[in-house]
Amino acid sequence: MDRASSAATARLQAHFFDGRSARPQRVQAWVSAGRLHLQSEEDQSLRHFELQEVQWPERQRHGQRQAELPGGGLLSHHDGKTWDAWAQASGLRDSLTVRWMQSWPYAALALLLCLGLVTGLWAWGVPWAADRAVALMPGAVEQQIGAQALSWFDEKMLKPSQLPQAQQNAIAERFAQALNKAQARSAAQGRGARPWPAYRLHFRAAGEAMGPNAFALPGGDIVMTDALVQLLDQDSPQALVGILAHELGHVQHQHGMRMVLQAGMVGTLAGLVVGDFSALIAGVPAVMAQAAYSRDFERESDAVARQLMLDADIKPNVMLDFFDRIEALRKKKGGSDNSLPIAFASHPADAERKRFFGAP
Amino acid sequence: MSDAHTGADPFADTIAVEDFAAAASRPASSPVRRLKIAFTGSGSEYFRIWIVNVLLSLLTLGLYLPFAKVRRIKYFYANTLVDGEALSFHGRPWPMFRGFVLLVALMGSYALASKFSPTAGLLAYLLLCAMWPALWRAGMQFRLANTGWRGLRFGFSGDLRSAYLAFLPVYLPAIALMVAQYFLLGDMKPATTPEELAKFEAAMKLNLAVSGVCGLLILGLAPWALACIKRYQHNGFHYAQEQTQLDLPTRRFYGLGLRIFLIGILPLFLTGVLAAVLLPLAKGRPEIFPFVFVALLLAYLFFFAVSGPLFNARLQNLVWSGTRSPSLQFDSRLKARHLILLTLKNWLLTALTLSLYRPFAAVATARLRLESVGVDLQGDLDRWVSHARLGQSDTAGEAAGDFFGFDMGW
Repeated sequence: MDRASSAATARLQAHFFDGRSARPQRVQAWVSAGRLHLQSEEDQSLRHFELQEVQWPERQRHGQRQAELPGGGLLSHHDGKTWDAWAQASGLRDSLTVRWMQSWPYAALALLLCLGLVTGLWAWGVPWAADRAVALMPGAVEQQIGAQALSWFDEKMLKPSQLPQAQQNAIAERFAQALNKAQARSAAQGRGARPWPAYRLHFRAAGEAMGPNAFALPGGDIVMTDALVQLLDQDSPQALVGILAHELGHVQHQHGMRMVLQAGMVGTLAGLVVGDFSALIAGVPAVMAQAAYSRDFERESDAVARQLMLDADIKPNVMLDFFDRIEALRKKKGGSDNSLPIAFASHPADAERKRFFGAP
Repeated sequence: MSDAHTGADPFADTIAVEDFAAAASRPASSPVRRLKIAFTGSGSEYFRIWIVNVLLSLLTLGLYLPFAKVRRIKYFYANTLVDGEALSFHGRPWPMFRGFVLLVALMGSYALASKFSPTAGLLAYLLLCAMWPALWRAGMQFRLANTGWRGLRFGFSGDLRSAYLAFLPVYLPAIALMVAQYFLLGDMKPATTPEELAKFEAAMKLNLAVSGVCGLLILGLAPWALACIKRYQHNGFHYAQEQTQLDLPTRRFYGLGLRIFLIGILPLFLTGVLAAVLLPLAKGRPEIFPFVFVALLLAYLFFFAVSGPLFNARLQNLVWSGTRSPSLQFDSRLKARHLILLTLKNWLLTALTLSLYRPFAAVATARLRLESVGVDLQGDLDRWVSHARLGQSDTAGEAAGDFFGFDMGW
């Protein structure tokens, strides 16, 4: 054997532990004919081990080298460089992973690949996986999660609506008519009459903190606060339809469920990289992801709302009145417009949304 | 398992290997020798190992993690020199992979169950509580049984019953809290009538009272719980014929808790008071709001950066300085100030480099924490012999630990 003949002379003086006693024995180690041979310097006794059965240490610059021998023995050497030179002379090869780890250029390449992979997973991988998962998820699960969330809101933040039942019914009716009209128009134009998803409209009174607001939960529950109805129902009733259409967009694209899944996936991803080091630091990417993905979802829902309004013969620019009123309200309350950087804002900037709905 | 403390001859229960057993003398006759612990790892080398591990973990969507973990532990062990001889790790990635999958499935179903319904959440929580001490013990058995020094394996001999008893002071108030919340609030329907609203508010008040009592109980019992857990751990380590024991009265843990409370938690409380004073000021003047926000965030970070390492340093010193075995006496002299400064530096650089500094931080922390520990040895190490046959675990429990391959914490 070629390897055996060339390596026959490479000998290493090392320590051998037999696994029963803590006492080291000085041994000579060498490799030949596919076996590792140890000869004790004390009593000249010989031991032999098949090379494949030995757990060899990985090459590294620091630390000691220990080879685990079959039968519980341990071959130990304090100086890594001497061991590595002997291992190489004996024909033992590093694994591919070790060669990557011991080379700065390859480590730099691994870093670049990691950055590329994280970016790719963030931009495409996570949304794609969430899409697939949402498609597979039974509707009942989503409904259950939505019902759970709604009862949580009802417990903590919402109270029964103070609006007259007639007004609630009128708003629901107005929205249902717009939906029917839009559906008929879309079918007539051959754009495929995809049925609107099932939804349940709830009116609730909310505290000061929530103000005029509407939101959609997984499974199709849409909640609108009394304050929002009072803000718009008299002067811009069609803006309420637009807002409900926006929320229906969330329902249609299952944004609630996707958000739960995507934020969870980013959290896991961050945990992979940052790990146990600090839950606080690992939490930051998850929060940022929530905001960033949320902005994408808002844009998607705005697009649904705008198309629906066009199909139902409602001018999308009625939404401008809503944005103006919200802005005025915010100014009155004394909050600054953009106190937090965009990365943490869950909605796109108002200016962008105004342009979107105001465009002819 | 306590033969080593009670028997006069610590070698009495070792499996005889003729020549060693015959030569064994009483350790008391030898002078005391200090075994120094040194850490020789390098941040830049660990960085290269880490980045390749991260890449492979990302490519395999996390499935490589147990393999990465074996490599990481082996690197840290090969660089941890006790009296000049490195520790060795013998864990095999595949058994650890099984344990990893099981743990992920367990945690995943727990997270999902609590989203699904309160009943499922409560059941999953109770199930996790019921399994945790056994898993925790299996993890320690696995880690220690796969850690070697001078060719001999360490071991963990705490029994299952004691593991559950050790967790009792944590569990009782926590389970009471969980069950109370479930029965008081779990099945609440949205209130639609004034009577329901009144009932709901009464339930809320009761829940708040129960939560408060349970919260105080958890806080008050925490040092005792910590004492139980640490005692269970440090009474269970063994190596060769040596079995460790921890002689610390529970009041020492209360002393530690009180000091952490005064130094770490009191400032947080004061920040809360400060916030309560400052926030109304900011109400009419939106321009100072960001400053208040940043001040509160800094106070919050300060709380984690100071009280965390302070607690860890004090706990390490307290517990390890109280640990001994017939021939060994451990001590730890970790200066809390050093660990706090190191933690602050690690956090800052990790945040600034978007976590690329993490491997350097891990190496620096390991060095500081390991090198502050020392061991005084009485006797001749060369005469120490293994307790059990190698390659075999000495109890069925250890085999279970091997199967699960759990490994928690560093």
